[in-house]
Formats: sequence, C-alpha cells, structure tokens
Amino acid sequence: MNQRENKPSRIALTFFHWYCHPDFREEIEGDLMERFSTYSKKYGHNKANKLFIKEVLFLFRPSIVGNLYHLTNTDIMVINKQNKRLVTILTTATALLLIPLIAMNFTNDVNWKFFDFLVAGVLLFGTGLTLEFILRKIKNLRYRILFGIALFLVLILIWAEIAVGIFGTPFAGS
Amino acid sequence: MSQKTIGEFEEVVLLIVAILNGDAYSVGIITEIDERLNRNVSLGAIQTVLKRLENKGLLKSEFGDSTNERGGKRKRLYEVTAEGQKILDQTRFQRNSLWDAIPRLSFKLF
Repeated sequence: MNQRENKPSRIALTFFHWYCHPDFREEIEGDLMERFSTYSKKYGHNKANKLFIKEVLFLFRPSIVGNLYHLTNTDIMVINKQNKRLVTILTTATALLLIPLIAMNFTNDVNWKFFDFLVAGVLLFGTGLTLEFILRKIKNLRYRILFGIALFLVLILIWAEIAVGIFGTPFAGS
Repeated sequence: MSQKTIGEFEEVVLLIVAILNGDAYSVGIITEIDERLNRNVSLGAIQTVLKRLENKGLLKSEFGDSTNERGGKRKRLYEVTAEGQKILDQTRFQRNSLWDAIPRLSFKLF
C-alpha cells in the first residue's frame, strides 16, 4: 500500500482546517482520520476518500465553525465593527465558492471550469460588496431591507439567466 | 420555575454517554448508536449535539489519548454531569407517568 492510500484528500483537510473553530480542530480532525481509517479497511481508499470529503462538507455548520472571524485570523488586527461585517461577507462568499470546488472532487455532476468560478466569484463578491455599501450608506432600516431584497433578487435573476437563460439575453446559459 | 428540556436525539446521546461510562467520544457514540438502535448518525450531527449538551451543562469533557489511527490527535471524552443525570431521571419519570396514565382499553389487540 503506498503512502497516498493511507491519507485522505488534502484539499478537503485544508478546507476543514480553515473553517473549523480552533478549539474543536484537534478532536474533530482525529475523528475524521479515525473514520477514514475505518472506511479504508471496509471499502477501500476511493470510497473512503469520498466519504471523508462528504463528512468534511457536512461538518461545515455553525456549531463547528463557531465565530466566523477566526476564519481570517482577524484577532491579530485592530478592526472596527464595519470591517468585521465586511470580512464576514467576503468570507461567506469565499466559502460558497469553495463548495463546488470541493464537490468536484467526489462527484462528476459538478464540473465547473475556471470561467465558471470567475463569473460566480464576480457575482458573489460583487453582491457582497454592494450589500456592504448599502449597509454603510443607508441608515433607515426599511430602506436597508428594501435595497437588500432588491440586491438579492438581481443576484438570483442574473444567476438564473447565466445558468439556464430565462430572458434570452446574449449571455444566457443553456 | 424554569426547566431545562432535551430533545429525543439529545436524550439518546446522553444515555449512550452514560452507557459508555467514561469512554464516550464522538466516533464511539456513533458506533454505539448504530449497534444498539440501528440508526445512522453523521459526525456533524453528533458533534453539534455534544457541543450543545456541554453548553447546557449536561455533559462535561476532557481530552483523552491520541492514537496512530487518529493521526496522533487526541479524543475528547465526555461524561454526564449531575445536572445531566437529573434531567435523564426527570425525563424517564415523565415518560413512565405518561405510559401509566394510558387507559388499558386504549391498546386493543387486533
């Protein structure tokens, strides 16, 4: 058995290291490795790796991630409340982009090209930054909610147009 | 009087931790639930419940040994607290009193 066969997906493990709260990292990583080892003996390396990636994805939940700010190591920076919110928005956008990247590792149903990631990235980061702009410039709660909903509607419509082409514009997908 | 309540899955996890008596850690709990109840539970679900029960003060934990199988990482071993024991007793008492309250005629044999 070569060395690769004893180890689970490095990308998934790195993703786990990134999102898991430091207080829980050691015990849960140990659990993941133990489960991977058991699966390897039972099903072989490939299936064990797929199950490992699935478990890493299913562990990505608020109780395990904890405080989002640890994701960017912002505790070493002096940042104000607005910047914390911006960091949270950008981190969420990055996490959403990582989902298809990880999923591609264990299913053929997800097959994104570089351009797909680029477009999704522009859309997600664009929406996130616009949301931050709205929250900084508009102080009235009613207008904040109104503009926020409008922004997400625009995001969903553009995404749907690019994905399946509901309006038939030149950049419509199929 | 304020009263702590637990859900069905939380009760199962508390009982399994009590059964394992000092050797309870997430993977062991999953295996025990599978063997005793034939119920498949994900690592994410078990970790979430364990953290929640610990926050409620019904479980306490400490780091145990590390093994090669775990990549040198230590286990977190859980134990039921006095508060956890109390809530388990209370839940059992409540269930029993509800069962006892069912009139015998409600269960008809077909």
